[in-house]
Amino acid sequence: MRYMADPIQFTESKIEKNPVFLLGNEAIARGAVEAGIEFASSYPGTPSSEVGDTLSQVADKLGIKFLYSVNEKVALESAFAASISGMRSLVFMKHVGLNVASDPFVSTVYTGIRSGLVIMTADDPSMFSSQNEQDNRHYADLAHIPMIEPSNPQEAKDFMKEAFELSEKYHIPVLFRTTTRVSHMRGLVNVGEIPKIKGTRRIFEREPKRFVSLPVNAIGLKKMLMEKLGEIAMESDMSSMNSVSSDMISKIGAITSGSAYNSLMDAVVSHSIEMDVLKIGFTNPLPKTRIAEFLRKHEKVVVVEELDPYMEEKIRTIAQMNGIRTSIYGKLDGYFPQLYELNPDAVLQSLAGVINIPGYIQPNSPKNGSDLSPRPPVLCPGCPHRGTYYAVKRSVRMSNIKKPIYASDIGCYSLGTYDPFDEADTIISMGSSIGVANGFSMVTDQKVIAFIGDSTFYHSGIPPLINAVHNNLDMLVVIMDNATTAMTGQQPNPGNELDYDGKPVTGIPIENVVRGIGVKNVSVVDPYDLKASLITINRSLHQAGVSVIISRRECAINRDRKLRKKGEIEIYTVNQDKCGKCMNCVENFSCPALFIENGEIQINPTICDGCGVCAEPLVCPFKAIEVKN
Amino acid sequence: MTYNIRLAGVGGQGIITAGTIISEAAKRSGQKVIMSEIHGLSQRGGSVTVDVRIGDCYGSIIPQNSCDLVIGLELMETFRAIESLGNVGTALMSTEKINPISLSMHRKEYPCFEDLMEKYSMGTKIYPVEAGEIAMEAGSSKAVNIVMIGVALGFNLFPMNTSEVVHVLKDTFPEKKLSINMKALELGIAWSGRMKTHVHENSTVPNRNS
Repeated sequence: MRYMADPIQFTESKIEKNPVFLLGNEAIARGAVEAGIEFASSYPGTPSSEVGDTLSQVADKLGIKFLYSVNEKVALESAFAASISGMRSLVFMKHVGLNVASDPFVSTVYTGIRSGLVIMTADDPSMFSSQNEQDNRHYADLAHIPMIEPSNPQEAKDFMKEAFELSEKYHIPVLFRTTTRVSHMRGLVNVGEIPKIKGTRRIFEREPKRFVSLPVNAIGLKKMLMEKLGEIAMESDMSSMNSVSSDMISKIGAITSGSAYNSLMDAVVSHSIEMDVLKIGFTNPLPKTRIAEFLRKHEKVVVVEELDPYMEEKIRTIAQMNGIRTSIYGKLDGYFPQLYELNPDAVLQSLAGVINIPGYIQPNSPKNGSDLSPRPPVLCPGCPHRGTYYAVKRSVRMSNIKKPIYASDIGCYSLGTYDPFDEADTIISMGSSIGVANGFSMVTDQKVIAFIGDSTFYHSGIPPLINAVHNNLDMLVVIMDNATTAMTGQQPNPGNELDYDGKPVTGIPIENVVRGIGVKNVSVVDPYDLKASLITINRSLHQAGVSVIISRRECAINRDRKLRKKGEIEIYTVNQDKCGKCMNCVENFSCPALFIENGEIQINPTICDGCGVCAEPLVCPFKAIEVKN
Repeated sequence: MTYNIRLAGVGGQGIITAGTIISEAAKRSGQKVIMSEIHGLSQRGGSVTVDVRIGDCYGSIIPQNSCDLVIGLELMETFRAIESLGNVGTALMSTEKINPISLSMHRKEYPCFEDLMEKYSMGTKIYPVEAGEIAMEAGSSKAVNIVMIGVALGFNLFPMNTSEVVHVLKDTFPEKKLSINMKALELGIAWSGRMKTHVHENSTVPNRNS
C-alpha cells in the first residue's frame, strides 16, 4: 500500500487538520494549488514525480488542466502558452529533464510571460536515481532567471506561492530548484486556503513584438531582461526567503541554502557550535547587500552548499568588489567536497578544518555489513523485460553473433545492464539508445541492438529512428512496450487510451509511428511467449536495414494490481521429482522469486506473481515448474 | 533531543507505510517529525531504508552512530542497517528471509541465522522476532511491518503510546485490511509481553528508557 496525500486536504476550505504530514513534492503541489495554478504539465522523472502523482489526484476536482507531456520541452512550451493566455502555470521535471527543455527555457525568459510561470527542477545529488548530478543552479545564470530554493516541505509550499507572486510581478518565469532530500523529505506542513480559480478558457491577446523571438525582437528583449534582473536583485535583498538564524553573536558565520542548511543546522546543534547562519532561499540573484553586510560582521564565513561552489564563487566576488577582508571558506579551497550530497557528519568534518569544535571526534567509518551479499534493484517478478532480455540473449548466441553492441536507454529496463543479462553497453540519455546505434552502425561492422521503452521512445526515440531509416543504417531496435512510464511510478504515456484520471485520450500505436517513418521490418511479440519471441528475434537479427521488434506486455505492477483485485493470481512451484537441477532458471532467468535452499530450487510464494514464464521449456527444459494447487 | 528510527528491508515490504504510520502517530502525540523516503530506481526489490526522526531536528539524514532504534523487516537488511546505531541503540529484527538474486544466480544459499549473528551483530543488542509467522497468524504475510511496530510498542521503544498508533491504523487502512493489521499489531505487542515475562536472569529486554 502506498500512502498518498489525502486528496481531501486539497478541497476542504477550512484548514482543520493542520499540520499535515506531507512529502516535499506533495507540499510543492499544494503550494502551487494555493497559488491558484490553472495549468500544469510535466514529464515524470525521479525525484520530481510525486508532484504529478499528487496533482493527478486533485486536478480534475479543482478544475486545473494537468497533463503528462510527451517530453519536458513540450511540457514547458505548453505551460508557456497557458501563462501568456492568462493562467498561472507550473511545469516540473527532474534535473536532466531541464536539459531537454533548455531550448524554450532560455528563450521564454527573454520573451517573458504574463500570468505566473514556475519551472520546478529536482536535482539529484549523490545520484540516487539519475545518470549524473548536474547542478541546475547554473541554469539560473545561463538563462538569467530568478531562482528559489526551499529546505523543507513547509518552505516548499510557502516559497512556491512566493515564486508565483514574483513571476507575475516581473512577468518572468521563475526557476524553483529542489534536491532529492527536499523533494523526498516528509515533514509537518501548515497548509493554507485554496483559492477559487476561474477555470474557464481564455482569449490569447497577440503581442508579437514580445512573443516572436526573431533577432529583431530578441535584441531589445535581452536589454529589457537585464534591466528586469536588476530590479529583481533588489527584491532578493529584501526577501524574507533569506534569513539569519540568530542575533549575530558570533565571529563565525555560515552562508547556506537548500538541503545543505539542514545538514549544517543538525551539525551545529549537535555540537553546540556558536555560529550565525545566513540561509538563502532566493538564490538568484543573490542578496548582495545582505551578504556583504553579513561578511563584514564576521571574521570567518563558511559557505555550505551541495555540489558546485555556485554561491561561493559569487560570495567571493561580492567580497572582492566591496573590499571585504573576511576569510571565506568553501569548496574552492578544498574544505568542503564538490562531490555528492552533504550530511551532518560530512559538514562537521569539513567545519572541523576551519574552526575548533570542542568535543568533536571524527566517527569511525562504517564497519559492518559491507561484505553482505548486495541487493541492487532488480526487474520485478513477472516483469516482461526479463523475457525480452532472456530471448534476445539466447537469439544472439544461437545466431553466433560475435561482439554484439547493446545500446540501451533510460527506464526500468536499464536494469538489464546487471547480471545475468548484461545487455547494456551504453546508456546516456533519454532516447540515446537509437541515437548511439546510428553512430555504431556507421562506424563498426558489429550487430547493433537498441533497447528502448515505450515512454522513452515517444519522448525522444523518434528523431534518431528517422535518422537511421533516412540514412539506410543497419540496426535492430527492440521497443519494450509495457504501456506505462514504469520506473517513475506508472504514469501514463501517449500509447495509452486512457489518461491518469481515466478520461479517454488517443493512444498512438508504436507500430503506426514506426511504419510511418518507413521501417519495413516491424514485428510485435509477447515477451511471455519466449518461443515466438526467439523466432522473431532470430529472423530480425538477420535482416539488413532497420528492423523494429515491439515487445509488448503490460507492466507487471499494473497487471498484478488488476489480478490481485480479482483474486486471480495463481503461483508456481518447483516439482522436485522432475527438477534436473540444471540451475538454468536461477542462473540465467533469475526471477527474484527463485532461490536455492538445501540444494533445491524453490519459489517464494509471496514473491511469485504467476507470470509463468519460468515454466516455459526454454527456461525449464525438465518442465518441473508447475502451477501450485 | 531527537529520537532516530531506521526502518530497513526490501522494496515491497511496506517500509514506507510503516514509516508513515510511526510518523503520523508521533505527530498525533504532539511531536515534530521528519521522514526520509526513497523512490524510483532504488525501490525495485532492492535494499530500502526509511529514516524517521522525532523531535527537534532539521534534516532527514540520521548522523552516524546516532540511531536509537533499527527495525529490520528482513534478516540481512537488518544487519546492513545496524551500522547506524549508536552505542545505546537497539535493533528489532524480523527473521524473514528474502533471497537476493545475487546469491542464487551464483548457486549460493541464504546464510544461516547463527552465522550472520556471529559475524555482523558486533555487540549490538539485536532482538530477533518471528514476524513472518506472527503476520500469517494475523491473516496476511504482508503484515510483517505492522507486527514489528507492535513489537516495538510492546517494548516501549517509541516515544508515543499504543492508542496513537491504533488511531493512525484506523486512518490508514480500509475496513477490509484494518482487521488484519489491528490483529498484527496486537500480536506484536503480545509477543513483546511474553518476552518480558520470560526473561532469563542474565539477559535483558529492550526499553527506550533504560
